[in-house]
Amino acid sequence: MIVGFAGRIFKKYEKDGIDLLKETIDEALDMAGLGYKDVDGILANIGRGSFHNNKSYFNPADQISEYLGIRPKYIDHIQYGGPSALTMIYRAYKAIRANEAETILCIQGGKISHLRDSSNVKSDLVDTPFDDFIKVYDQMLPISDYAMVAYRHSKLFGTTDQQRALIAVMQRYNAMNNEKAIFRDPIIVEDVLSSRIVSEPLHLLEIVYPVDGFHVFIVSKKTSKSKLRSIDILAYGEAHWPEPPAEWDDIIYTPTVESSKRASFNLEKVDAFELYDSFTITVMLQMEDIGMVEKGKVGKFVESNDLTYKGNIPINTGGGSLNTGQPAYMSGGVILEEALLQLNDMAKGHQVKDANVIFLNGLGWWSRRHAVTLVLGERK
Amino acid sequence: MKDLELRRKYFEMFERNELPFLECKRCGFRFYYPRIICPRCKSSDIELKVSSGLGKIFAMTRIHKKDGNIITYGIVELSEGFRMYSNIIEDENKKADINESVKVVFIEINKMKYPAFKVI
Repeated sequence: MIVGFAGRIFKKYEKDGIDLLKETIDEALDMAGLGYKDVDGILANIGRGSFHNNKSYFNPADQISEYLGIRPKYIDHIQYGGPSALTMIYRAYKAIRANEAETILCIQGGKISHLRDSSNVKSDLVDTPFDDFIKVYDQMLPISDYAMVAYRHSKLFGTTDQQRALIAVMQRYNAMNNEKAIFRDPIIVEDVLSSRIVSEPLHLLEIVYPVDGFHVFIVSKKTSKSKLRSIDILAYGEAHWPEPPAEWDDIIYTPTVESSKRASFNLEKVDAFELYDSFTITVMLQMEDIGMVEKGKVGKFVESNDLTYKGNIPINTGGGSLNTGQPAYMSGGVILEEALLQLNDMAKGHQVKDANVIFLNGLGWWSRRHAVTLVLGERK
Repeated sequence: MKDLELRRKYFEMFERNELPFLECKRCGFRFYYPRIICPRCKSSDIELKVSSGLGKIFAMTRIHKKDGNIITYGIVELSEGFRMYSNIIEDENKKADINESVKVVFIEINKMKYPAFKVI
């Protein structure tokens, strides 16, 4: 039922976010062979400050409908950061099967390059009810929070900087042949380790770069004009641990432990993995939490396996958002688009052979409090 | 206790150089981030207490700012068992690391007092 998709990413997009969004929807509709008049459902997750010169839509799916002249039968807001894009696909399939709509736009992204200069950040929205007791401190969320996890992972398990760097190196190898990647020069472990330390132990090349960009996915009953394969949701699970991670049993686990258990999919049947890659450590945490490797042993695992698109366990086959840039601080659209390119044999230059089943996992918010596991493939 | 009252008491205790925490009188769970319901057992029978201010570093990082400053930030586990985010103050002789002992100190942020921790 995914009949079209598109992703458009720019380091700095010159026109307004709404222009970029429309271009992206146009491209996805074109692939689907559908038009705006076919759309009767909309889901959206938009970065703050994306529209009309640093304005935020309070109710983005609603206001985008207003702007585009869509009167939806189905409208919803899934706004828990990066993995929301994965959830949207699941919810859209359910809504269509329940006859609540026929053609649903799933939108994630934003225009945020102006927010790289923090003086442009203005908001009375809080990230937790305890911002007054957390955000007052001198920190650098989300980087400093993930850095703490990497630091503790090294202390408890002996995970090395070199092992984390291998994630960046293998993903870059995949990106070298991905025309959508903005970082495509080959790198070696030394390059990662000699890049600036941002928050110990994380180096600059282990951290995503925020960019402008939207992803649009169209889920529809109207499949006749689409050339895409008939992709179904083979498994799904989500989990949310809303408390501040300081109150979790340990910060080395993520809610992926639960979301992947809910999805309960045999990893042996997976042809490639697209794992949320805000940082190198993020990928490694998920490798452990989905059960690919025991907690604490991911470092050695990374050394002894080939994770490139040509390798025995392909992970982040297009280079991930570490190399495309992270649209509006959310990587979910990037990994979902790459999964669909792989499944449809459209991943020019970095295609995994016989990619029939793709396992995706997303993590959201600076505290990693939201996890979504989604497995896509053809239902036999 | 009401939420705003609880929050106000936290800030009043900071001004007196006291580190507050909450203890659930039903299940005994101890937590720092102020709420009017126990996140574990959902009881609203909660007691406000004062911590010894002594604890250990549970997690940490050093943030290398673009201006050259290095800031230490982490999660501290207090001797009473609750954990909180905070800045950590270290010096040449007292370097921070996981499991190192720390003691609460009060620092000024935006003209208000907040707890931070010093390596001891």
